[in-house]
Amino acid sequence: MANTWGYGAMTNSLNDIQNAKAIIIFGANPAVNHPVGFRHLLVAKERNNAQIIVVDPRFTRTAAHADLYAQIRPGTDIAFMYGMLNIIFKNGWENKEFINDRVYGMDDIRKEAAKWTPERVSDVTGVSTQKLIQITNAYARQTPGTLLWAMGLTQHTIGSSNTRIAPILQLALGNMGVEGGGCNILRGHDNVQGATDMCCLSHTLPGYYGLSDGSWKYFAKSWGVDYNWLKGRFKAKEWMNKKGFTLARWYAGVLAGKAGEDKIHNAGTNLKALVVLGNGITSIDQQAKVKEALDNLELIVIADPFVNEAVVLTDKKDDVFLLPAASQFETSGCVTATNRSAQWRSQVIEPLYESKTDQDLMFELAKRLGFYKEFTKGMLMKENKKSFKWPEDATDEFARIIKTIGFTGWTSKRLKNHQKNWDKFDHVSLMGYGPMKGEYYGLPWPCWTETHSGSPVLYDINRSVKEGGMGFRNRFGLMHDGVDLLAGKGSAPKDSANPDGYPEITAKNIEKVLGITLSASEKKRIGKNWKVDTSNIIAQKCMERGMAPYGNAKARANVWTFPDRIPMHREPLHSPRQDLVKEYPTYKDKPNHYRVDTRYASEQDKEDWSKKFPINLITGRLVNMNGAGVETRSSKYLAKLSPEMFCDINPGLAANHDIKNGDMMWIHSPSDTKIKVKARFTYSVAEDRVFLPMHFAGYFQGEDRSAHYPKGHKPYAVGESANTVTNYGYDIVTQLPETKGGLCRIEKA
Amino acid sequence: MSSFARMKFYCDEKRCIDCDGCSVACDEAHELPVGISRRKVILLNEGIEGKEFSTSVACMHCTDAPCEQVCPVNCFYIREDGIVLHDKNICIGCGYCLYACPFGAPQFPTDGAFGTRGVMDKCTMCAGGPEPTNSDAERKLYGQNRIAEGKVPACAAMCSTKALIVGDAQSVSKIYRERVASVGHGVQSAPYGWSKAYGK
Repeated sequence: MANTWGYGAMTNSLNDIQNAKAIIIFGANPAVNHPVGFRHLLVAKERNNAQIIVVDPRFTRTAAHADLYAQIRPGTDIAFMYGMLNIIFKNGWENKEFINDRVYGMDDIRKEAAKWTPERVSDVTGVSTQKLIQITNAYARQTPGTLLWAMGLTQHTIGSSNTRIAPILQLALGNMGVEGGGCNILRGHDNVQGATDMCCLSHTLPGYYGLSDGSWKYFAKSWGVDYNWLKGRFKAKEWMNKKGFTLARWYAGVLAGKAGEDKIHNAGTNLKALVVLGNGITSIDQQAKVKEALDNLELIVIADPFVNEAVVLTDKKDDVFLLPAASQFETSGCVTATNRSAQWRSQVIEPLYESKTDQDLMFELAKRLGFYKEFTKGMLMKENKKSFKWPEDATDEFARIIKTIGFTGWTSKRLKNHQKNWDKFDHVSLMGYGPMKGEYYGLPWPCWTETHSGSPVLYDINRSVKEGGMGFRNRFGLMHDGVDLLAGKGSAPKDSANPDGYPEITAKNIEKVLGITLSASEKKRIGKNWKVDTSNIIAQKCMERGMAPYGNAKARANVWTFPDRIPMHREPLHSPRQDLVKEYPTYKDKPNHYRVDTRYASEQDKEDWSKKFPINLITGRLVNMNGAGVETRSSKYLAKLSPEMFCDINPGLAANHDIKNGDMMWIHSPSDTKIKVKARFTYSVAEDRVFLPMHFAGYFQGEDRSAHYPKGHKPYAVGESANTVTNYGYDIVTQLPETKGGLCRIEKA
Repeated sequence: MSSFARMKFYCDEKRCIDCDGCSVACDEAHELPVGISRRKVILLNEGIEGKEFSTSVACMHCTDAPCEQVCPVNCFYIREDGIVLHDKNICIGCGYCLYACPFGAPQFPTDGAFGTRGVMDKCTMCAGGPEPTNSDAERKLYGQNRIAEGKVPACAAMCSTKALIVGDAQSVSKIYRERVASVGHGVQSAPYGWSKAYGK
């Protein structure tokens, strides 16, 4: 997404889905995972006659409300979407003007799409040609159409190609930058977007600034700390600029050096300590490896309001610390919704018993480690204060620093005002009225200045920049292979002083591009470019000229920095179709992938996995459960709805293994792990695949580990973790695990 | 509420997504024993394309309530607004009402070795029972009395897609008629204008 058009976030909003005339959903199950948001889809269906189309390996609750449903083989979304594009190009249903003015590289897509005839797509995806044609007809000929996805699209070795082909489909149809269109990625938890924006990640600084020296220096200055001091915190300077481990593969950092484990590149040392702040690591792929890693750590510190089941999984007895973290009701501050809008929350009660808020845990840790002053200094700088007020000063700190995604307008004062007046916003357009007129609810980013409205629909050139309009971001240079990357003539946002494409704004080009003259004082105060201009002169001048600080460029269908320049179908590492593996092989093994040597071809070619493991394995969520599940399994009313771990299995498949409804069954994975679960008959899965919910823990490979819960803390429901048997495999760019396209073998227990 | 209104539930099958928000809201609001399900979401034809659907069922608060007709000890009473309630101090837990009910609404405690049958429990439409309104005794026996507080019953308030609607029959049918009439007429977004943030 970010590599296609600038930002990797939901482009419209759940509310805006009401404006759609067609809705297509890949690898997402909003009726289960976003039940409240799903209402907007149902309303679009009622009032707009919008057709809902679901493409999913499983007939989900969402599919039950669809007009068209395609049961796709896991991991073949690219083939399916190329099949749609094939039909679209053949019939001339693409939006030629949009492609010409606002897209780079669509001709490369056209060439690849030509290879994906309906017959070929049908062979790869398992969807009939009639269904493919029917779906393409329904979707391409109704505009605007919105495209939704979630983990079903991202958690694959080719996830980063999946998340490019979907935007490409939308670009081809001209469905971007319009109400009722867009790529609406559904975030899975409260504040996932906020956590990503704030960079709870290992490969960038907050606000997606990356890890270059320039970024570190900008943050050092903005945090009021010495760059050399920051540098001194690292083992050697080079590690400042290197990506860290990811959540998916931290275990490799512990286990490296043991027989059969992947090599790591971590300054000559293994990981020795783990600190977990509010992450259910029992919901992580390769659970057996996670357990082994936990057992081999020197120190485990876990902060959670509930008992994080990592401590139930591990056999480590000493130096395991459970810190009682306070819940969201015991603290205050802002969170970011899936549509990039902020929501201020107030504290309901003081933290109970000896629990502490996350920030207090971190402040105490910083004090003990001796950098509390540096850690908190950024909050004092705006008004040059002696002490800070949480969380207002933290919010004002990031509003002051983060320009890349337009946080300038997110002052604590404005966000609190939105909380107070939340009833004065329209439920579909998010536009405010009365005292909130001229602002969108939650000021969806980018919110360029302290008076900006927020941007409810990204890349919308039908509204002016000050009303939240913008073109695509100029992020990938001005030219590539001799082709202009700026937007075409006349495709600037409404009321723009420059009607055409223009580059991102810097101190050097501002006068020329905006057609203005800066005063001497402005010239002195202005930052080097829009991303580091804390004087806000660039943003302010841009608003006056109706231009976006980040430029107005083309989106790119060809990402020349990626292993696959255009999305290519590649079979999962463990594919049930050995014949297709030869035709669509995976990548070469990737060394030093977030510090870990990662197997691709060597794993795929090791053997014909489909012989011993003939059944597709998919995982997903239940409506009554959340994440790793300890919180929801600890509620008796929620646990009552799914008191036991189970496996959804087609009665036809079960009968071939002599498994009856309610029987216990073993599921074996290619990694030599297994789980024992209860069979639940349903026709929602085809006969070649089984489905596992991902929320259980407390059992491990048939062993009941309930005794490991601290007394009185065992949840009402415990069971095997699906992630004990999800397969090895990681995305080539992001390293997300391949939990949605593995293989397994089943037998009656 | 008009003086002739009767309180009714309606569940729109086209909107119900089997999320169980209603049943969990009910369990939680009234702190019910785990074995009691005043409200349940029923899913039928799971996984079969074109045939799968779900709906939420509880006591339907019938006008001519069969439970009331068959009760041997006359523990039922029907409020003026049509809400069917019963007196747990009179109920003998015989289960006749369960035979009579077309919806399987009456619930009996299931704790104990042989599924001991205690006094009946059912949906009160969040209107409590014969004990003094909002008293501890009422809360203990029947759960919250939200109707007395002017609140919507917990199930419909929680419903994520607003499939489940409750209120006097006229309001319920008005909401549903509006939904049907608005089909195909486009989105209802307010035509608010723009105020000028940058002075132009």
